[in-house]
Amino acid sequence: MIEVTNVTKTFGSGADAFTALKEVSVTIRQNEFFTLLGPSGCGKTTLLRTIAGFIDPTSGSLSLEGRDILGDPPYLRPVNTVFQNYALFPHMTVAQNVGFGLEMLDKPRSEVQATVREMLELVKMTQLADRQTSEISGGQQQRVALARALAPKPKVLLLDEPLSALDFKLRKEMQIELKRLQSETGITFVFVTHDQEEALTMSDRIAVMNEGRILQIGGPRDIYDHPAERFVADFIGDTNFVEGTIRAIDGEAAEVELPSGKTVASRRQEGGPQAGAVTIAVRPEHATLQAGEGLLSGTLSNIVYFGTDTHYHITLDDGHAFVIRRQNQPDARESYAVGDAVGVSFAPGVAQVLRD
Amino acid sequence: MAGRADTAAARRRWLLLTPALLVLIFAASGPLLIVVVYSFLTPGDYGGIEWMFSTDAWFNVVASRDFFDETVTWNDAHLSIFWRSVKLSLMTTLACFIFGLPTAYFIATRPKGQRDFWMLLIIIPFWTNLLIRTFAVMEIIRNEGVVNTFLINMGVIQEPIQMLFTDFAIMVGMTYVYLPLMVLPIYASLERLDFSLVEASYDLYARRWRVLRRVILPLAKPGMIAGSILVFVPSLGAYVTPRVLGGGKNLMLGNLIELQFGQGRNWPLGAALSITLLAIVMVALLIYVRQAEREGSHG
Repeated sequence: MIEVTNVTKTFGSGADAFTALKEVSVTIRQNEFFTLLGPSGCGKTTLLRTIAGFIDPTSGSLSLEGRDILGDPPYLRPVNTVFQNYALFPHMTVAQNVGFGLEMLDKPRSEVQATVREMLELVKMTQLADRQTSEISGGQQQRVALARALAPKPKVLLLDEPLSALDFKLRKEMQIELKRLQSETGITFVFVTHDQEEALTMSDRIAVMNEGRILQIGGPRDIYDHPAERFVADFIGDTNFVEGTIRAIDGEAAEVELPSGKTVASRRQEGGPQAGAVTIAVRPEHATLQAGEGLLSGTLSNIVYFGTDTHYHITLDDGHAFVIRRQNQPDARESYAVGDAVGVSFAPGVAQVLRD
Repeated sequence: MAGRADTAAARRRWLLLTPALLVLIFAASGPLLIVVVYSFLTPGDYGGIEWMFSTDAWFNVVASRDFFDETVTWNDAHLSIFWRSVKLSLMTTLACFIFGLPTAYFIATRPKGQRDFWMLLIIIPFWTNLLIRTFAVMEIIRNEGVVNTFLINMGVIQEPIQMLFTDFAIMVGMTYVYLPLMVLPIYASLERLDFSLVEASYDLYARRWRVLRRVILPLAKPGMIAGSILVFVPSLGAYVTPRVLGGGKNLMLGNLIELQFGQGRNWPLGAALSITLLAIVMVALLIYVRQAEREGSHG
């Protein structure tokens, strides 16, 4: 649907030059909820604005449904944007805002009115159609911005951190709302966020970006369970990093020797390291704690009770820290105490060999 | 107790307000009252007034009585001056708008660091005396001036075009003098404009011209109204510019008033004309603001 190929964008020149996108390539599929996730300054907004047409890339190509659209100005691209600050027209009513795009496309008046009504219904704003945009709340402005961008029935809807200005509860509501809108309209959504939870709960696929590059593309579960790089593992969720050495590989499987001398079956990415010293990642909830020997052994240094779960902080024999998260059961007594000698284990295939 | 604190606060408020009130009473209301009173008195033989009630001055503003047969006719001289004043002021306002809007837009769309430089260029003429600026315009448009000399040397015309001492000259002069008053408020409203609104309209399929007409201009409207008022009002009462560039033939209201207090030795008529000018300004502003508001609420 959208093909981004080797797009590079450099701002400024000479010593001040800043490369916001470095050879970025990604394919976004029809009807999917695609998220660009990364810390601020990673290039995700630059990529979004390139698709919208506000930024001309320095090199690379961009096509929509097989047609090259790089030369098209924003008003010729069948793509609409929900801006971070909503950018609603302050001199127009809610309904006039929603109808603006259709009016600019010179649609007949009756069609504009019908679509505006339909869109306002879709975002549940029918009652406030004649209000000025300054007279409605932030969450309502958000809905109007969505309706305005959806009204011309774009092929792709671009959303630039649209939920960041909302408070926690409203954000949760809008996450569900966005997902509903996406499935009801069948429009491809490209969503930019720095919030990993937002990305995991809403997306069909996520592209994790850092320093102008896409590090990994995959479904939420894939990205979380099988991070390909240290940055991805670290940015999304909590992770334990353990140094090890690859002893043997077989496709996606790798036999990794741990500092304790024991080996464990791990998972590696295609094109990842094939031998030598590597870092493996293990999620805190994927590891288990046991008294005595485990794959790794150490001393329990802290126990933190969180209500839903308990975090066990372990100092491994080689001095590294390791955290295990265990879900709490009703009326279970704590069976460990700080200072206990414990073992850490994880099932074969759980540890992820990182590329770096 | 609360009452005492309140009176102390009230006294302080009045104390703070007093200087402004004094200025208003002595520099605005007082003189205005004197002018109103004078307009209902009889002119003195050698200027000044005689304390004798008369409505002659007001009668003479719009009409004249024949010296011999006492027939009453419209005062064509005065009416044509009123008309010229209003016409030239409107044209000046329009010209300032046509030149001022793109200028303000240009400055407002420069990078932040450069805007002050461009604003400085707009403001610099203000530092020069009005008379000097007016003579500069004269130098450009007189028969042996820059424009005519250039056109003759280029062979475009044989004879110089008479521009000086015409209505056109007055309009050019006033446009030049009052242009900053249009640029500044429009710039102020454009500078506040959130550029993401422009992006949003491009994104919603609006082309350049429509972005300008549907988004930028409506949002710059307060500045445009303020600028138009700031140019129109002083234009209507302009004195130096029509005097120098109109050559004494093409009078505007300001010159007519000056004439009554000077050579005309008819202070009451001068006073009545001054109030007429004030009335024209107020009516014009009322119509303009009412109109602008109506358009504003409809779109």
